[in-house]
This record gives sequence, C-alpha cells and structure tokens, in this order.
Amino acid sequence: MNDVVWLHHSLPRTAWFELTPEEQARREEAFRAQRELSLRQGASRQGRFHVRGQGDYSHVEIWYFPSAEHAFDHWSRLVAAGYTACFEFSNQVGTAAEPAAPSA
Amino acid sequence: MSLLSEETEVFEAAPGQRCAVVFLVRRRTPAPGDTGRTAAALGAELDALRAEGWWLSVDRILDGERPDGGEPEEASPGERTEDARAAPCRDVPAGTESTRAAPHRDVPTVYATGFSHDVDYVGMFEAPSPSSALAGTRRLEEAGWSRVFRTAWLLGQREFLPVVGPASRREDEWAFFALWSWNSAWQAATAQQRRAYDEECDVAFASDVRDGAAITGRHRLDGASRWDHIGVWRVPGVAMVDRAMREHARVADFKFTTSRHYIGRRTRLDDALRRK
Repeated sequence: MNDVVWLHHSLPRTAWFELTPEEQARREEAFRAQRELSLRQGASRQGRFHVRGQGDYSHVEIWYFPSAEHAFDHWSRLVAAGYTACFEFSNQVGTAAEPAAPSA
Repeated sequence: MSLLSEETEVFEAAPGQRCAVVFLVRRRTPAPGDTGRTAAALGAELDALRAEGWWLSVDRILDGERPDGGEPEEASPGERTEDARAAPCRDVPAGTESTRAAPHRDVPTVYATGFSHDVDYVGMFEAPSPSSALAGTRRLEEAGWSRVFRTAWLLGQREFLPVVGPASRREDEWAFFALWSWNSAWQAATAQQRRAYDEECDVAFASDVRDGAAITGRHRLDGASRWDHIGVWRVPGVAMVDRAMREHARVADFKFTTSRHYIGRRTRLDDALRRK
C-alpha cells in the first residue's frame, strides 16, 4: 500500500550550475542510487514536472510511499548524499483526500 | 535517519522516531458560531492522541522521556538530561500535592503571537512517529481544528535531545520558535568550516541556557517543508531573547542561515479556541 504522497519542489543552487558536466553526472548518479533504493523499498515515482515561473521552484516530483517514515527516510538519504548542496527544496507530505475517513 | 549536522557540546543526538508537529495558525474570522462544541470535540481528539503517546505542550516536550507527571526515572550513567530530570514536572502550583494518576497534566498549549507576527498562534506537539504525526494532524483537522484555524503544519523527526539547565523555570510563560534553513554558503562549506561554525554557535547556545532558556533540542523539518529544522525555547521573556539574538549575531550564527522567529505567550489551546 502506498498511502502517502510526497511532493518535492526543487530549484538548482548556483553551485549546481558551476559544476562540470562530469561532476554533475557523478552527483546525479549518487542521487539516482538513493531513488532506486526507495523504489526497491516500495515507493513509486509518479513523475518529475517542470513548473518554473509559477513559484519559487523550477521542478516538482510526485512520489508515493508506504508511510511517512519511508518518505522521510528517502529524503534523509538524498540529503546525506549531498542533494541539498545542489538544490533548494520545499517538500510536502500528505494522505489521500478521498475516500473521506469514516467518522467514529 | 542521519543527522543534518553533528552533535555539539550543547546538543546530543536523540534516539527513536518521535516527530514534531509544529503549527502556525491564523484564526478564521468570523469565528464559527459553535466554538464551544468544536473545542469539546478537539479536546476529546487531543485526549485520544495523548493516550497514543503524543505530547501536547512545549513544557511536556522539554520534560522528555519521563513518565507523565511521575518521578524522574533513574538516569543512566553519563546521561546529559539530568538537568531536565531535576526540573519540576508539575502543572500545579508549587507546594500543592499532586497525584501521579492525575489526568490532563499535559495541557494542550499554544503561544499567542498575534501581537507582533502575521500568525495568531504557534505551537509544537510531539507525536511518537511520523505516521502518527501525519494521521493525527488529519484527525485534528477533521475534528474541527480547520473550522477555527487556517494552519501550516510542519512535521519532522527529533534530532537532538532537550537542553534544560538549572536556570530554566517552568513558570516562564514565553516561548521563542526558531525556524532555520541553511543557506548556500553553509551548503558549500567544508566539514571543518561547519564544525567551526557549530562551535561558535555553541558558545551562544550555552549562554542562552545559562540565561534561562530551556531548548527543545532540534527537530528536522526538511522532509515536509522548506525549513531545515526548528528549535523552541521556553524563555523568561522578550528581553532575554533580544540579548540572546545579539549574542548569536556576535558569533555569526546567521552567516549560514535564513531564520524565521516567532515569540509568543503561553495560552491554553482551549482558551484560544473559545476566544470570541
């Protein structure tokens, strides 16, 4: 069950643009490894979308995770891999609005 | 979960999965007509969350892993929370006989910030896990919270244990909420530069604790917000915070961070809900 949605908004930092293409590729590989680990642990990635100009960030990723713990662990591993040195971020975690939770 | 930055002399890593539930709220105007019924429904939901291991006030969070209202557990050797454990854990006046079984000692608490900020109340609860935090915010919203308040919820796991020194007083009714994001300069800094920065900030944090600030430790918020982390201080008053910020500026705390600070006065959530 992937009950938790996780939205990840990002914008490259200046430092990202100053990396060589080889260095960017090396870092992307490190981030990709963490994303794939999350997929193996039950997450699903719904896509990465370009939203530049509509807010403070240029891209949004939509993920589903089995739990909030899985979402936080995914993010924590990306941070440990150096992701936030390259990208500014804003994240949101949520649960499905429908069907409405039955009242007690 | 890895730590966002390393432990310091002042801050020690926390075990477990406990999760901050920070809220920044604006009252809806006009207030709904049935605030009494909403307050009662929310009181019942908060009782249920407390029974599931939620802590519902900054004061309770500062007490840490002590049994609710009970005597301090025996500290393990070298444990650095002994100051917190020595602090009184009572919501009854000093000298009043309290009973261990007394319910509702952890009174749901918010801090009134409307006099100087763009939100009316801020506060922090702590849930036993991120899943509980996420489900609980939804339950609170559905129990009527969203009828009274427009809310930004900020959730994230505890990183550092509370720091409560002998100068802290439980009767202090002001709190200082500090949201931080590290800036691109911090992101670009070397591990050695970050360590040196942490040591400089520790000088200021140690001074804060000597001046009576009780600090909730640190919770990371980066998994579900644009902030990296939050620290909440129970403080003697606004003048103390002003002195503290001058000291933090002196040690260059802010060269590596963007901060947003809220100062508020302790208020029972029930009173905030019923306010006309």
